[in-house]
Amino acid sequence: MSKIDCKHIRNFSIIAHIDHGKSTLADRLLEKTGTMEKRDMREQTLDDMELERQRGITIKARAVAMRYKHNGESYELNLIDTPGHVDFQYEVSRSLACCEGAVLLVDAFQGVEAQTVANAYAAMEHGLMIVPVLNKVDLKHARPDEVIAEMESVLAINPEEVLRCSGKTGVGTDELLAAIVERVPPPQGDPQAPLQAMVFDSHYDEFRGAITYVRVMNGTVRKGQKIRFVKAGTVYDVLELGQFVPHRRACTQLQAGQVGYLICNIKALGQVHVGDTVTVPGEGGAQPLPGYRAPQRMVYCGLYPSDGQDFEELRDALTKLSINDPSFEFEPETSDALGFGFRCGFLGLLHMEIIQQRLEGEADLDLVQTAPNVTYEILTTDGETLYIHNPQKVPDAGSIEEFRQPIVKVNFVLPVESIGPVMQLCTDRRGVYARTEYLSPTRAMLTFNLPLADVIYDMHDKLKSVTRGYGTMDYELVGYFPADLVRMDILVGGKRVDALSIICDRRDADRRGRAIVKKLRAEIDRHMFEIALQAAIGSRIIARETISAMRKNVTAKCYGGDITRKRKLWAKQKEGKKRMKSIGSVDIPQKAFLAVLDTSSEKER
Amino acid sequence: MSNYRPLTTNHQSLNMSAEFPIPRAAYVHVPFCRHRCGYCNFTLVAGRDDLIDDYLRAIELELQSLGEPREVDTLFFGGGTPTHLPPESLGRLIRAVRGWFPLAEGYEFSVEANPADTNREMVDLLAASGVNRLSLGGQSFDAAKLRTLERDHTGDRLRQAVELAKAKIASVSLDLIFGVPGENLEVWQADLAAALALEPDHVSTYGLTFERGTAFWSRLIEGELGRLDEELERAMYAAAIDRLTASGFEHYEVSNFARPGHRCRHNEVYWSGESYFAVGPGAARYVQGRREMNHRSTTTYLKRVLAGQSPVADSETLAPADRAREMLVFALRRLEGIERTAFAAKTGYQLDSLVGEPLSRMTALGLLEDDGNRLRMTREGLFVSDAIWPKFLNR
Repeated sequence: MSKIDCKHIRNFSIIAHIDHGKSTLADRLLEKTGTMEKRDMREQTLDDMELERQRGITIKARAVAMRYKHNGESYELNLIDTPGHVDFQYEVSRSLACCEGAVLLVDAFQGVEAQTVANAYAAMEHGLMIVPVLNKVDLKHARPDEVIAEMESVLAINPEEVLRCSGKTGVGTDELLAAIVERVPPPQGDPQAPLQAMVFDSHYDEFRGAITYVRVMNGTVRKGQKIRFVKAGTVYDVLELGQFVPHRRACTQLQAGQVGYLICNIKALGQVHVGDTVTVPGEGGAQPLPGYRAPQRMVYCGLYPSDGQDFEELRDALTKLSINDPSFEFEPETSDALGFGFRCGFLGLLHMEIIQQRLEGEADLDLVQTAPNVTYEILTTDGETLYIHNPQKVPDAGSIEEFRQPIVKVNFVLPVESIGPVMQLCTDRRGVYARTEYLSPTRAMLTFNLPLADVIYDMHDKLKSVTRGYGTMDYELVGYFPADLVRMDILVGGKRVDALSIICDRRDADRRGRAIVKKLRAEIDRHMFEIALQAAIGSRIIARETISAMRKNVTAKCYGGDITRKRKLWAKQKEGKKRMKSIGSVDIPQKAFLAVLDTSSEKER
Repeated sequence: MSNYRPLTTNHQSLNMSAEFPIPRAAYVHVPFCRHRCGYCNFTLVAGRDDLIDDYLRAIELELQSLGEPREVDTLFFGGGTPTHLPPESLGRLIRAVRGWFPLAEGYEFSVEANPADTNREMVDLLAASGVNRLSLGGQSFDAAKLRTLERDHTGDRLRQAVELAKAKIASVSLDLIFGVPGENLEVWQADLAAALALEPDHVSTYGLTFERGTAFWSRLIEGELGRLDEELERAMYAAAIDRLTASGFEHYEVSNFARPGHRCRHNEVYWSGESYFAVGPGAARYVQGRREMNHRSTTTYLKRVLAGQSPVADSETLAPADRAREMLVFALRRLEGIERTAFAAKTGYQLDSLVGEPLSRMTALGLLEDDGNRLRMTREGLFVSDAIWPKFLNR
């Protein structure tokens, strides 16, 4: 690639709420700029992970360089596609730091949603030029004027600047490309200065190792030169560099303002840190770019093989996955109930689900998952701070000075008639009200501070149900705050099942204890003996249920012709128990380990 | 028979190794009934007596595939209703079967009979044909219960049938069903008392099972019939065990009770994992370690056999360890249980290395009793025994 003037470069991302049509619109841009021929296109071109296509979400960031002629001049448009989900907030922030502009996409029917707001604020905080776009204007039920009014009232978007597009029909694509060139400022940066590039993502190629995605802020990086990762403190030779168009195309250099990739023979993805700065080795290197942060795991759970013998296989599978996704971590742990397994940390619930699906899909392992929990901080009486990822690790109440939990600020965007029920939902979960903003006469944004623990499990489902699907939410971490927390244990047949312990607010303990043992009673089949289910705080039993013993279960007739049929029938019952764990002599199904997540209050049941 | 072609069943070309001795038992399935009762899911045709001739020809053909006559110690005619056949047809069937399965000295020859068919002529015919054990499908003496079960006899007819049979036939067994919708413990106690008053040699008591595909199943789904409370069913089963054993019957298998010397030896062959021949639609045989089942549709069976094709619809040969597990389960359904030494001798597996863990768990729970050699179900184990077997059948 020959030298290019920054004047002819535009770096932008597209931000949107899920399902507002980001990937489809990106497809149109690729098509219009001739980056991809129509016949080569498949839907969601940029989402090439199988899981992304299946779920219609973007998990990894992408960068595509497009060529576009505008008023006789040729421009390089770099589209940095970002994941939209709250779990990947940090990755989003790094991607945004690589752009000068953001196309803010809003569905002309759905209107402004929680992620629209979160992503738009993030873009504004990074000082990005916003190009507001109303998508899906071809929809029969589109309500463009109302949605534009919402954008104006919440995000202070100038209605006259809003473009109207349809990713489906291609309407408005030209205008959008022109607006990107005209409105998004060209990158600043000095190609002659010392190299300074931002790592905004990476992926693993089994032949080439880690592929590092960078935006060059200053200087120029050339094939064959040595580079240094500032935070990691590692030095590599640049074996290949280039741009995605949309597949990798090698070139000889990338200069200030450009976006592309580096291949440096890096064996593991864990050695490439999103947010790190690339410069030259030695004294003459540039300063690190601001904002680097190690991945923050917000959610933890235990993963155990159903069959204890698969422990090593699970370790291999986790290791393999972590090569592709260093933001996920795992360490071996033992549970009396579940045997040998791993405590795994994730960026959030979606991230956890993705990892679990990949594990089951790629490794064909039968897993038992414990209920997810957040990280807690405990200040001990000795003045030490403990970070608790696992309820079993909570020390004795006597040695706890302060028990702190993560609090998040949650924004709900919802129809006004749902404000009451959602407020109730939040106050039930000890939320602290912050404010209500009206987007329009019919829609509002409600903000609450809530314990993350309460948010991660069922808040999304509960919100969808009380708003009949119209409510959306997004959250960000506010910090750790002291609370009156206790560890609640669950006893099955008199034995404490460590994997069922949870941490909860003392005032919720009775209610949750009752709900959990009730749920367990429904999940665990009757056995040949009576089973007591108890919830306890320390040695105090706070709730109890009993599963009565099976009284009669016997096949009467068993003669010559019945033998094969009956044997198969009985053997199948055993097969059905595969996803179970035997604790004492009680078979507990996988689902029961998630029963502790049932936070529904009794009146809702 | 000029158009005879050998049928490819397991009967032929018997090349018996020491591991699989030649069967000494044979089962004949007679698929005819006047009426299909609502709870029944056996292989049978009701109201198709026009098929009887074809059936007899088919049985004769299937028997020929044995190649040579095979002497047996036990012979069992089940159904359907063997006694539904007209006397001349039944006679022809017995002659053919006895030709191919000559009875050894001290044999047991059982026939299932419907009380409504059990008149003097029928009993005489059976006795004259060598039948020395009659199993009467009585089910109940209670009019309402018999109506629900769609049986075509009365309590009095059943009494007569037992008396007639006892006069001519060495061993008479009576089947009783409990747990019928609408039944209570008193009705069941009365049935047990009525049965005991007749002094049969053998009693089988069956808790009513709702089988998929039966009229009862649909009526259960539609809510027209209801299952009895589990506690009541347990009390009924317990009552049967207690009344019958108190009257001198030995409880020797989950559902079977016998006076001394009157166990059904043929059924014990099934439960102890020994091999047996079988002919007729839906009949299952176990020969040379291979289980085969003939097609369950009577008409398909007839079509196939009469066309010289094999009637076998399903077959399986179990791996030695699976065969051992299966053997264990069915042996444990007998109340005498099984001895470790006998199990090892028969299967080549040590019980404790095969199922040691579930075995000690079941013993600790008081469901099995283990004296170090012999293993058997406890009374409590008997009530919930279906929950035990899955633990033994798989790794």
